Amino acid sequence: MLNISKKIENTKAVLTLEGRLDTVTAPEMEKVIREALPGLTELILDFKKLEYISSAGLRVLLLAQKAMNRQGKMKLCRVNETIKEIFEVTGFSDILTIE
Amino acid sequence: MTNKIEKNYVTVKLSGRIDSENSAETEKKIFAQLADSGSSSVILDAEHLEYISSAGLRVILRVKKIYSDLRIINVRTEVYEILEMTGFTEMMRVEKAYRVVVSVEGCEVIGEGFNGKVYRIDRDNVVKTYKNADAIAEIQHEREVARLALILGVPTAISYDVVRVGDSYGSVFELLNARSFSNILAKEPERMDFCVAEYVKMLKKIHSITVPEGKLPSIKEKTLKALERMKDRLPDGLGDKLLRMANAVPESNHMVHGDFHTKNIVIADNEVLLIDMDTLSVGHPIFEFLRMYNSYIGYAEYDPEIVLKFQGYDINVAGEFWHKTLEAYFDTKDENKIREIEEKIRCLSYAYLIDWRTRHPGNNSEVENATISLWQNRLTELLRRVDSLEFDINCGEKSDSDELDIEASVNNLQKVIGFINSRLEKVDCSAKKLMQIDLAVEEIFVNIANYAYAPDVGKVSVSVKLSGEPSAAEITFADRGVPYNPLEKEDPDITLSADERQIGGVGIFMTKKIMDEIFYEHRDGQNILILRKRL
Repeated sequence: MLNISKKIENTKAVLTLEGRLDTVTAPEMEKVIREALPGLTELILDFKKLEYISSAGLRVLLLAQKAMNRQGKMKLCRVNETIKEIFEVTGFSDILTIE
Repeated sequence: MTNKIEKNYVTVKLSGRIDSENSAETEKKIFAQLADSGSSSVILDAEHLEYISSAGLRVILRVKKIYSDLRIINVRTEVYEILEMTGFTEMMRVEKAYRVVVSVEGCEVIGEGFNGKVYRIDRDNVVKTYKNADAIAEIQHEREVARLALILGVPTAISYDVVRVGDSYGSVFELLNARSFSNILAKEPERMDFCVAEYVKMLKKIHSITVPEGKLPSIKEKTLKALERMKDRLPDGLGDKLLRMANAVPESNHMVHGDFHTKNIVIADNEVLLIDMDTLSVGHPIFEFLRMYNSYIGYAEYDPEIVLKFQGYDINVAGEFWHKTLEAYFDTKDENKIREIEEKIRCLSYAYLIDWRTRHPGNNSEVENATISLWQNRLTELLRRVDSLEFDINCGEKSDSDELDIEASVNNLQKVIGFINSRLEKVDCSAKKLMQIDLAVEEIFVNIANYAYAPDVGKVSVSVKLSGEPSAAEITFADRGVPYNPLEKEDPDITLSADERQIGGVGIFMTKKIMDEIFYEHRDGQNILILRKRL
């Protein structure tokens, strides 16, 4: 399934994801992000252990990106090749900041 | 706004309206009070709070961010609705203001369980009381699982209110003319076959429901703990043998009720409902049957009067009902087969009873000791000849077929993905291609689950065909929902910036990109969609 661990320091949050971000788990991710959003200026998503992302997961990323465009910045790091390709195919590599 | 410190909680009273006009000022006041108190746990008392706007909600979020142990209490219905709609009730503990129910004295008792009684307070409403004085956590748990069960398709009642009853609390349910199966069997035993049929239908239904991971506790784990506690009461290492056999029962993410006896099945307004959901769990049906055996026979093996006292019908009716239930559930009249299954169930039933009685002694130790030793002797005798607890449960799913017929519900997504993956494991398929196939399957299946039959539910058949030279997978979805060709959906403009892009609409587009071919047709009343991918 999906494990999300979060580290919040002042206005910066790092979310580390592990597992699958799909239709079933995306609502949980959305909830965690919505909770963290107020006052946040930097959001970092660590994808090292994320194995899978479906359109439900992309939807949450777009929501987060839209919100962070208004209040700060968002970055994805350690994204695996298969997921990078999904970002390419869907045009998400142009709207997300991927390190 | 005033504050007081209760134990290590600091309570801040909110009043009037909190909106954009005064939210900044309110926030300042709250933080000033909290800083003064030095406490890290906060209760917001909303008894006099009339309205809260989104500006006010943001204040609460900022408080929650610093004081993560935050509760809101005494919330009026209007404010509670706002908090519920905005998801706050899931983020933090929010307690409603409880109205006081006059008294349940003299009201008809329509049900009784281990934790409390169910009274009818008027024609259409019942209140379930709890023995525990601080029952709020229990009530909330039961409400949550009942809600989950309802979403997963179990006909059940959900409490719509919590009231004070004497020193404790009660939850109120609307149950029109509710009558339990126990009551029917006691008053009209000639309706036995009707009760068995409806009872087994409900049982099979809940056992066929897949529960998303982590939502419900495992009944196997709970049973194993009981076996651990009692195993040394059995001679010759038979306790360890039982524990080994129970451990070997396969894990399952299917729903079990955990206390499925005739008092918990009611007919209300001509609809059969399952109630008393606090024991809802996941696991193999054998653990459900273990408790059922006890309700009808196990508890009463020493003193047959117990069944009459608890269910209202006698031990003969209970025994017949139990036997017919096994026949109907396992779809057999073969006495040997029934006995074989029953013996496996009884191994666990007796162990559970011995542990339960030991931990909940009553006030007649002589009778209790005699009862326990009767159970121990019967269990010992059974364990000398029963070598496995496994039995076939025919729940309509073929395990090695290349076709899966399943309810089109998002809750079955993992099952569908699991089915696809198990078929693709047989061939050489890279992790990347496997993920791409999973993605496409998820998009198509979720689409069918959300739209094909809405607001009803229906079935979808998913089949996998693998071919060689060149090696390829072909996955076919067929449903009888509204005709819909997802391929006609317009592609999103992927050159837009994040702010310009619409949320959603990317799933089908992605599916088209990562599959080699997709076909759709509407034929014989079915939507047929075929995905092809070279491996």
